Amino acid sequence: MKTRSPILLLAAQVWKNILFRPGSKALILVMNVLLIGFMIVGFLDLNEHQRQVHGFGEDVRENWENSPDKHPHRMAHYGYLVFREKFPLSYFDFGMDSYLGNVIFLEAHKQNTANFSEANLSNGLLRFGEISAGMILQILVPLLIFFWGYDLITKDRENGTLKILFAQGVQGLELIWGRVAGLFLASLSLVGLPLVLGLGLLFFQPENELLGQSLIQYLVLALAYLGYFLILALVSVLVSAKSQSSKSSLTTLIGFWLLFTLVIPKVSQVLGQSFFPNPSKIEFDSAVEEEIIRQGDSHNPNDPHYAALKDSLLRAYQVDSVQKLPFNYSGFVMREGERLSTETYLSHQKKLQETFLDQQQVIRMAAWLDPFLAIKLASMGLSGTDDAMYQSFKDQSESFRYELAQTMNNLQIDLISNRVKSSSDPSARLTQDHWKSMPDFHQQFLPLGEVLSNEIGSLLILALWLVAGVALSVFYSHRIKVV
Amino acid sequence: MIKYLFTDFYRSKAHSIGLLLLLVAGLVSLEIGSRFLERAERVSEKTAAHQAESIQRNVSHSTGELGLLMYYQRFGLENEVPRLAGLSIGQRDIYPSVQSVNVRNLEEQRYSTDLMNPLFQLLGNMDFSFVLIYFFPLVIVAFGFNLVSEEREGGTWSLVLSQTDSPMDFLRCKLAIRLLGVLAVLVLLLAVAVFYLDIPLDSFFWAFGVIAVAYVLFWFALVWLVVSFQLSSNLNAQILLACWVFLNLIIPAGINVVQRWAFPIPEAMTAVIENREGYHAQWDREKEPTLEHFYSKYPQYGEFQHPKDQDFSWLWYFAMQQLGDDEARKSVKEMRGKLEQRMEMASKVSWLVPTVHTQLSLNSASFSDMGNYLQYMGALEDFHEAKKGYFFPLIFEEKSVFEMDWDGFALESFRDQHPVQWIGILAPFILSVLVLLLWANRNYTKSGIYSNGK
Repeated sequence: MKTRSPILLLAAQVWKNILFRPGSKALILVMNVLLIGFMIVGFLDLNEHQRQVHGFGEDVRENWENSPDKHPHRMAHYGYLVFREKFPLSYFDFGMDSYLGNVIFLEAHKQNTANFSEANLSNGLLRFGEISAGMILQILVPLLIFFWGYDLITKDRENGTLKILFAQGVQGLELIWGRVAGLFLASLSLVGLPLVLGLGLLFFQPENELLGQSLIQYLVLALAYLGYFLILALVSVLVSAKSQSSKSSLTTLIGFWLLFTLVIPKVSQVLGQSFFPNPSKIEFDSAVEEEIIRQGDSHNPNDPHYAALKDSLLRAYQVDSVQKLPFNYSGFVMREGERLSTETYLSHQKKLQETFLDQQQVIRMAAWLDPFLAIKLASMGLSGTDDAMYQSFKDQSESFRYELAQTMNNLQIDLISNRVKSSSDPSARLTQDHWKSMPDFHQQFLPLGEVLSNEIGSLLILALWLVAGVALSVFYSHRIKVV
Repeated sequence: MIKYLFTDFYRSKAHSIGLLLLLVAGLVSLEIGSRFLERAERVSEKTAAHQAESIQRNVSHSTGELGLLMYYQRFGLENEVPRLAGLSIGQRDIYPSVQSVNVRNLEEQRYSTDLMNPLFQLLGNMDFSFVLIYFFPLVIVAFGFNLVSEEREGGTWSLVLSQTDSPMDFLRCKLAIRLLGVLAVLVLLLAVAVFYLDIPLDSFFWAFGVIAVAYVLFWFALVWLVVSFQLSSNLNAQILLACWVFLNLIIPAGINVVQRWAFPIPEAMTAVIENREGYHAQWDREKEPTLEHFYSKYPQYGEFQHPKDQDFSWLWYFAMQQLGDDEARKSVKEMRGKLEQRMEMASKVSWLVPTVHTQLSLNSASFSDMGNYLQYMGALEDFHEAKKGYFFPLIFEEKSVFEMDWDGFALESFRDQHPVQWIGILAPFILSVLVLLLWANRNYTKSGIYSNGK
């Protein structure tokens, strides 16, 4: 008989034991079905969302291009609707998706909010959490790993077989790593097939210009999850080695699970909120408004900023009234107003976003104590359902809005006569080919490099947990109590 | 013997720690509730102040043209936040508590959202309802999972049998002591909440308390049932934890998925598109049909006419705006219908899922559910109509801004009201507790524990 490494033997024994426990096979089957099922549900949901959003986007574009000849400022108020697209990997982990607005109305002078998130359309049930493959992998699989792993060493001690194992020359480290390997192997029976099939789903996306990026992100994601399960296997075996009895081992592990998935996330949310409170909409809006009024109110004929602007124009062109300027004066004023108000809005928006980032930083700090939070953040980031992806969409739509408003203002400045009294004047109409020449809105997702660099922190936390687990198992392997 | 059981219960460090944890988590949740209420108050004060200022500023910058002023001027309607909402924040952190609208089309204005960190919304508030629904059962399970098995496994069960005529009474006493401990913490927390959050002792508060107690009773009944199978401590713990995972994580999330699939709401987006087209298309059309539509909707304005020689009048402008709302009306109504269907489905399913029933009834008692939001949306429509009804005639008869009294336009507030649905609240609890107890009783009878083995 060939001698095999004791680690492999021990691991195989764990796997066999788990497989022959009553209910284990059913659990493995259920978990596989749940994971694959919810990935498919998420995938269909994603495709339906994309189909709808593209349809709406095309309608909006068509209406825009077919708008009849009119004054450009009317087009600036007609504005644009942009719909948020989802990243191809979002079927894997819904992340914040349900809390993010799906449509923004873009118009001149005004930054509207992103509306109609799924949460807006849900009753309290969403608050219990959402099932996605990510949620199952983050919360339910760990629970099973703990249930399978809590007695891996205590049971041997209670049965007296631990003595025999050591007597046979098994080293402490071999024992621990063998058990960990077996438990990790068992966790693969839950997630292995779904992870492979999930990857396959990527090839069925109707539009897959992002296939390369998604594939890489998926692989990193899958590796991160495997690391997470390895950490959990280490935690369970170490707790089992340290515990007096199977009962106390199970209690400790359930305690860890509650701490990781429930207590630390909630507490860090509370801390984040109290350390870095963010303004409410009304506070934000009034602060922006006050500053804009201070800079100059384009609607106030006596406003000093705009009076100075007018004087300098009259002087430069050596005319005595704005009607005699060689370009459309009111368009010029609006362009200036749009520039100033957008600048102000963006500076406040930047501050707000910094507050949000500070709040998130608290959560990221808490993730050092909590591998669940670390994988949750990494998983959202890599699935493209995190705040960074959302902010990028909002930033893109804001710059599109600004471009739209200023393009219309420039058309007015260049092409509309200064003597036109109202926007209804037939001579103030521009032909519709001007509308066609303005490009459509195309949402860009964050590129691979940025996604990875955003999540390098949380991946590092997982790596350190792994290293710490291995170190602890080496350190502790000499101290396992035999009886 | 009861005295002994009491001492036994409180001497165990784990039991005191369990109760203490609930107390601490509960107190933290009250602090969170109080901050939530403070923020809502601040928003309301700020909005009121801002509204007064903006009226003053707009009037002082005005050329006298009322139509132009009313293009900008917004008026706020607050969705009053009852103090009880501090205990169950529900959907209140998703829907803003105030919306300010001008007399232009409503659809474009009424869905704007508050500034919230989506990561925080995802992680959720640790409000009192969360502590109750998630934490209380864990402690109840920890207290009860080895009610019989610890005596068996500790070898004391035969002592119990030999020293009491009725082991059932012994077990009931043991469980009752644990129940009293948990209820004491619950009552203490609610009492603190009344003072700390300044909650009025109205029927909603009592309903809230009754729901909380009923929920605790449900979990004790479930523990009583699982224990009645007389399995090992380990197995009991696993079964009860599995129940917790299913009732608090998997089933509610599953219902949510079904709800989304059964009632998708593309109408939300369609309404936005229709609203925008409905209004803007009017600019390029003949004015008569737009005005005709307006007159048929509001015959009382028939006396006002668009001046034939002019390109623009406020009458025509607001008639165009009206079409924005009216074009989207069908989709908006369908959206509301779907939302109601989602609510109805959840409330039906919740009969079978006490955790969901508890959350929905707590949210409903504290007016932080979707029902409240829909009521508020209705109130906002009425508010908007009332403002139009007041200002339109003045705008159309070209009354000067300076001839008007601008004092009476403070922030208004909507108070949602519905009676407490006692039967709807209690029946699912009574039903589930009854089923659990009867089932448990059957198990105990079968096991012969009643007759003490004789």
